[in-house]
Amino acid sequence: MSPWEKVKDAVMDALDVETFLVCSSEDEAVRAMRALMDAMGLGAADIVFLEMAGPGARVRARAYVHRPGDRYGWLGGEADGEAGNPGSA
Amino acid sequence: MGKRVILVPLDPVHDIGLKMIGRALSERGHETRLLQPDLSCEEIVGEISRYRCDYALVGRTLGYGVEEMLARLADLADAAGLRPKVKMVVGGMAIKPELAAELGYDAGFGPNTPVEEVVAYVEGRPYDPRGGVPPRSKPSLTRGYTYRFRNSEVEALLSGIVEEVVCWASGVTSPGVERARIRSRMFESRREGEGEEGLAREYERLCEPVVAESCRGAGVPKARAVTPSEKERLERRLLGRTKGETQLRHGRDKPLVFVQYGTGCPLMDVAHVEVAESWGADGVVHFDPSWAARREGLFRGLLAHEEDGSLITEENLRLVKSGLGDPTLWQVRAHRGLNTAETVVLAGECGADLTKINIAYGSLGGGTDPERLAADGVEAMRQAARYGMPFDVVTNEELCGVPAHKAFAGMLITAAVGIRLGGLPVLQPLFCRSPQVMLEGFMADNYVDFNAAKVLALRQILDAPIWPGAPIGFLTHTPDRVQASVTTALHACLASSLGVDAISISSADEAYSGGPISAASRVDTLRAVREGLRFFGRAGIEPTDRARLWASDIVEGIVSVLRDVARGGSFVGALYEGLLGSREEGAYPGRVGRGTVKKVRAG
Repeated sequence: MSPWEKVKDAVMDALDVETFLVCSSEDEAVRAMRALMDAMGLGAADIVFLEMAGPGARVRARAYVHRPGDRYGWLGGEADGEAGNPGSA
Repeated sequence: MGKRVILVPLDPVHDIGLKMIGRALSERGHETRLLQPDLSCEEIVGEISRYRCDYALVGRTLGYGVEEMLARLADLADAAGLRPKVKMVVGGMAIKPELAAELGYDAGFGPNTPVEEVVAYVEGRPYDPRGGVPPRSKPSLTRGYTYRFRNSEVEALLSGIVEEVVCWASGVTSPGVERARIRSRMFESRREGEGEEGLAREYERLCEPVVAESCRGAGVPKARAVTPSEKERLERRLLGRTKGETQLRHGRDKPLVFVQYGTGCPLMDVAHVEVAESWGADGVVHFDPSWAARREGLFRGLLAHEEDGSLITEENLRLVKSGLGDPTLWQVRAHRGLNTAETVVLAGECGADLTKINIAYGSLGGGTDPERLAADGVEAMRQAARYGMPFDVVTNEELCGVPAHKAFAGMLITAAVGIRLGGLPVLQPLFCRSPQVMLEGFMADNYVDFNAAKVLALRQILDAPIWPGAPIGFLTHTPDRVQASVTTALHACLASSLGVDAISISSADEAYSGGPISAASRVDTLRAVREGLRFFGRAGIEPTDRARLWASDIVEGIVSVLRDVARGGSFVGALYEGLLGSREEGAYPGRVGRGTVKKVRAG
């Protein structure tokens, strides 16, 4: 298991990425944030919040590592052949 | 015996922490000496040597060069032969205990270390984070309240309405009422070691087919069974951990802070509840899905699904209960739907401390037929009284557009019925930016006055606990977690100023609809509330005179509605006729369960 996979297992539910993007429109901020999340391997991300003012946008994106009902990595141990989590990052 | 302690600030100015420690040590009879800031390491070692101290407490706030400086100081102290005689201790914002150990210090204290912890170290005794205060015990929301009416006209009107409701309810029954009674007998049979099978078959006959099949072990649509392995691993990984003693309030006993959970999965619920408790929540509220509340009967099994709200099953409730800390209050909602009375029985049997019942909201904003919910609601209140379980009477119909005074009239009728049946109702006004508020401009200037007016109005009427919810600040949140946390904290501070008994708070995800609420967002608002309550302490927020005027208006409005209900002679009829909230205002009598109430045969 890679270090990234190991850390992801410890995420209780959502992984938020929050930053300030220098950009000229909300659309640009959304595109940039989605690209960033994609590049981080968090493709199924959603923009939770975005506020554009002045030089850019304050933006927060979210990917769910564990959704309710998933098999949670943080439970540890073997998952006795249970299915994975197709809907999560 | 007193110790000699030298206090060594390594920064040019940041020595307040050392000063506080120095004062605490002096007060306990130790001899202390505070060095001037910004001495060189050689000068410091010279001072330590001359002072002949037992301890040298070194403080460092700034992060740059900290490792090199501390290493040098330790080396020089070694070279001067001080180490066998003097315990070298380092602490401050820039310090981590691991760093102190690595550099050979006897102890290291990181940021936010309580003064008392350092004092205990110097005195060579174990540190008690509670400072001798006994562990928290489970608080009571209703203790000390008389449930006496302070407004004689309201009391007289409610007296007549309540008699009508209780009399009407004694002559009717419903599948929900019957199931509650069967459930109750099933638990009694279990306690007495008798079989439940016969009662179980009787129960299933009163359920929808899909629920009855679940009771016989079949799967549940949209849900999956939690495996024994998952349950066992949850118990191993999470349950039984120390949750800390985080205290949200500062200088006050109220309000108790409740957090709503209902992730859809009991395993995740346990995890979220553990987070909430660890960050200071006094209580948690179980949210169930609305689709399940519209089915006759409660499912069976340890069940998870991927939608909002966690299914109310005995197994789910018992798992959540197993994770709760002893002082944590636990509420299981029963306020709307076809399983209201039965949910109260289940909650009582599973060890819940509180439940939630409101006939008016459940039938005007919750989708359940008024006649059905009146029958089930009265039974629910009887059951709640039997278990000694207080219940809040929520007024969420305000969110549909019902004016506050009408919602309060419905709440007071339900509460008065509860009192009549021996129950302990808790009044739950909304702290919210409701449609009425927006249309009338009641919060054009501030969010304080109208919310305060509601509390003042209720206090003029009845001596009962008040628990604004649910959650406080409803419709003031945005998906910005800072804004959502701040508005939650400010509403909490208003509640604290008004001296209410409890509040329900949302997470910072309250206005985010793209996915489940995250654990971190729960921490956001709990942390913000703690900061807000710390800021105000015993000081408060002062409403303007407008609050008192609005409170009088609300009381007058309540009296007017109660007169209309009393004149009509039927509480259930009043619900259908719109006296407690009309279609024009956004209240629609529900249709779920219509036609299921039957008259009880005489004899």
